[in-house]
Amino acid sequence: MKNNTSFKSVRKLTTDKIWLLVVLVLFFVYPFMVSNYYIDVAFFFGIYALLGLSLNIVLGEVGLFDLGHAAFYAIGAYTTAILNTRFGIPIIVLLPVSAFAAGLFAYVVCSPVIHLKGDYLCIVTIGMGEIVRLALLNNPFDLTGGPNGVFGIDFPSFGIFEIDSSIKFYFLIWVVVALGIIGLIQLQHSRIGRAWNCIREDEIAAEANGIDVRYYKLLAFVLGAALAGVAGNIYASKLMIVSPESFSFMESCMLFCIVLIGGMGSIPGVVIGAAAISLFPEIFRPFAMYRMLIFGLVMILMMIFRPGGIWPRKRGVI
Amino acid sequence: MQVIIEQLINGLTIGSFYALIALGYSMVYGVLKLINFAHGDFFTLGSYIGYTILVFGSALVTSHFGLWGGLIAATMVAAISLAIVGILVERSAYRPIYASGRLPAVVSALGASILLQNAIMVIWGPRYQAYPASLIPNIHLHLGGIHITLLQLVILIMSLCLLGILYYVIQKTTFGAAIRATALDRDTAALMGINFNTVILFIFTIGPALGAVTGVMVGSYYRQISFTMGWNYGLKAFTATILGGIGNLPGAMFGGLILGVLEMLGCAYISAAWKDVFVFLILILVLIFRPTGLFGETIAEKV
Amino acid sequence: MKNSKLMRVLMIMGVVVLSLVLTGPSVVGAKEPLVIGLQAPITGPWAYEGQMAKQSCEIAAQLINQKGGILGGRMIEVRVVDDEGQPKTGALAATKLVGQKDVVAVVSTYGSSVCEPASNIYEKFKKVNIGYGVTAVRLTQRNMKYFFRTCGRDDSQGEFFAKVAKERFNAKRIAIMHDNTAFGKGLAEDTKRGLKQMIDSGKTQIVYYDAITPGEKDFHVLLTELRESKPDLWYFTGYYAEAALLVNQAREIGIKFPFVGGNAAINDEFVKIAGLSVAKGCFMTNEPLPSDLPSTEAKEFLKAYKDKFGEIPSSPWPVYAADALNVIAHAVNESGSTDADVLSDYLRNKANGVPGVTGPIGFTEQGDREGVPFYLYVVDAQGRIVVSK
Repeated sequence: MKNNTSFKSVRKLTTDKIWLLVVLVLFFVYPFMVSNYYIDVAFFFGIYALLGLSLNIVLGEVGLFDLGHAAFYAIGAYTTAILNTRFGIPIIVLLPVSAFAAGLFAYVVCSPVIHLKGDYLCIVTIGMGEIVRLALLNNPFDLTGGPNGVFGIDFPSFGIFEIDSSIKFYFLIWVVVALGIIGLIQLQHSRIGRAWNCIREDEIAAEANGIDVRYYKLLAFVLGAALAGVAGNIYASKLMIVSPESFSFMESCMLFCIVLIGGMGSIPGVVIGAAAISLFPEIFRPFAMYRMLIFGLVMILMMIFRPGGIWPRKRGVI
Repeated sequence: MQVIIEQLINGLTIGSFYALIALGYSMVYGVLKLINFAHGDFFTLGSYIGYTILVFGSALVTSHFGLWGGLIAATMVAAISLAIVGILVERSAYRPIYASGRLPAVVSALGASILLQNAIMVIWGPRYQAYPASLIPNIHLHLGGIHITLLQLVILIMSLCLLGILYYVIQKTTFGAAIRATALDRDTAALMGINFNTVILFIFTIGPALGAVTGVMVGSYYRQISFTMGWNYGLKAFTATILGGIGNLPGAMFGGLILGVLEMLGCAYISAAWKDVFVFLILILVLIFRPTGLFGETIAEKV
Repeated sequence: MKNSKLMRVLMIMGVVVLSLVLTGPSVVGAKEPLVIGLQAPITGPWAYEGQMAKQSCEIAAQLINQKGGILGGRMIEVRVVDDEGQPKTGALAATKLVGQKDVVAVVSTYGSSVCEPASNIYEKFKKVNIGYGVTAVRLTQRNMKYFFRTCGRDDSQGEFFAKVAKERFNAKRIAIMHDNTAFGKGLAEDTKRGLKQMIDSGKTQIVYYDAITPGEKDFHVLLTELRESKPDLWYFTGYYAEAALLVNQAREIGIKFPFVGGNAAINDEFVKIAGLSVAKGCFMTNEPLPSDLPSTEAKEFLKAYKDKFGEIPSSPWPVYAADALNVIAHAVNESGSTDADVLSDYLRNKANGVPGVTGPIGFTEQGDREGVPFYLYVVDAQGRIVVSK
């Protein structure tokens, strides 16, 4: 008995390692095999993976209904854009700054409303998303450039090494995603992660067990916002221009779908969900008009046949 | 003074549209806890069907029964069609998911919304369509110095009547009590002998039908329809539902009316460009001080 | 358990790889056709404009090919990439086109905020790109070598309106309304600048300056405020859908002062939606409409377009796309080269009076179209849009 189990788990470990190796090799080789266009597609896949992971903290781990997550993404992107174009601060320095700005915003905005129940919180997040987008659009204090947005953003650079090509951006985003995943796995296995999951399952029981629900919920929002801010920073420097259209309510809905279709609370699931959402338009390009129709249908079918997501979270494992 | 009254009527007209859509939204939401994103698209579909009937049936109906007859025919056909569509959507997209919990239902509803919206685009084309001016009665009135059209008046009165009827049905009749009971606690209601399927039938026929009627009203009032217009109305309806309190059907109605008036205030006294920001800020403030909505919710909390 | 997880991973990887392969670039065709790219919003909120632009380019190419093509018999092929009217997808579309070596130059695109990131990419990878529906002044202030545009700019339209307000309407109190889009707001701001002189000298004042929310339907509240500010003239710089609603509702609440639309506000759709009785008498500042274009090229183009698609384009922008294609073809033919630097130099310095649908084409040093005229249009009693006398 004991022998069998340990033999199985050893084999499993080795097979897992082989798969990991295969994926890593593919990852490194991919950009050298395809054209710039496909590298860019993979780049945006990475951005959505990062955003999905950031929403996963709030929605997947804690179970908070956040339909305004694009607002944090926007704050990160615009912070980078404005500080870089007005004060010339280097992009790489602005990465933690944007994360901080988004996190701070989340803290300030969510504190008064964090005690609201599920659906009420949902409408508040929607409202917050819309307020941010409209504020960016209306160009208060001539800061945000209105509908034209902010342009002329630099590329990130580490001293003389500048990230200015599709390949370099590809590696940048995926390194960040990898770091993010490592951090999130650590969180999942930590006290904080367990507290989050406890709150998700039964908030009142969590409170009764001495978990400071308010603190952990806010922490989730702040961390989720900060990670989204990071994504915003990288997005802004890649496109060299940010405008309010990229941060609409539909965008928040898509992030929501990434987490749910991929698998709530499941890190590999979210990455796969991001792949599905960003690759889908590419695959169905020839169908132009019918593309979104099929997309809606697929969403319904996915939920009917696999409501746990493509790669659901298993208890006790990643 | 005159201007204020005019603006108030404007705000109430917008508000009554929101209220009617919010009602259909809130019925589904209260009973099933499902955010029916597709409800806005029921409204749009109703508007498009009304348009089709009006334009292609004009030879048959309008020429015999006059402009109002044409409108009534369009409304009735739209309402009946949407009642059927509503049940179809419920059976195919929502029923299989009830057991899976709330969040998959949200994704499915979003999917249904995208599906319907794009189906409308494929069938009727991406361009804006217009209810032909010649098929809509256009009579201007001047009541005490206030500019208003007969159509506006009819719509306002009809909306308030519909709201009144539904209020009566939900608050004062036995069946209404059954719906409210199911919204409160589905299982106990079933134990009390309330047929869940009948309740579902009701909310998924009356709700979309109501949306369809509103769609025809909006179509004839503004005369311009597009396949994306449901999204905005749906969002406002959701806001109104929460503002009034979850599961609280009269609350949703008043929430819609209040939302319309708030929008009017924001637009007239602050700035048209910032009015939505103003409305959402007020909403957030209301929720901070009254976490269960303006009129309180009717759902017991499980401990 | 282990097997199913394996299968799942394999399946997913297989799907991903397969999809990438299937959507990969097709095999490069024979050398003969001369490929001109078109980046346009084929789907998305501007699908209407994008599809018309595509059709216009096809007709323009067809006309050239019928006359024997260019560079001794090479046929023009239009390669379309959809940018969905979004900045991000615009950047992706541009990346796709620069990656295709056989694309000589690109007609791109509609929408200044979509054009901007796209043109950055074209500039970096040295591909001549000509905007056809992008009027933001800023686009040609970036010292770019490969970016041009065949359409006009917001500031010239703003100045034209100022001129019209003074000379034609003698307006002392002006109301400006926009829709908070890049185009609408840009034009409104440029109009304000165009009026600056008149404002400073005290002859005029702007009594109303606000924005509608596009996609909304109900403007009664806003219009009542407009009415109460008592302007002599009302300029709306947004799109026709909202314009129709605005004018309708304005008449309902008793607004009588004249309505002037910017060049996106009035077209056949506007007349249809607003209804004849309301649309009659509305003005518009516009580049010449396709039906008013005097040149023989225009008549030939419109006839061919109508033969194939049943009606002429209902907005001015598609013909600018056709002209972008025409001028690229001309440049290639005259310079005998498809090299981007040669083409850029030709367009900037030597292109003068190139025959185009919208008139003779030439570019300024910064890449703007030379000499785009503006007319004041009005909707007449039969619902046609004619030049106002």
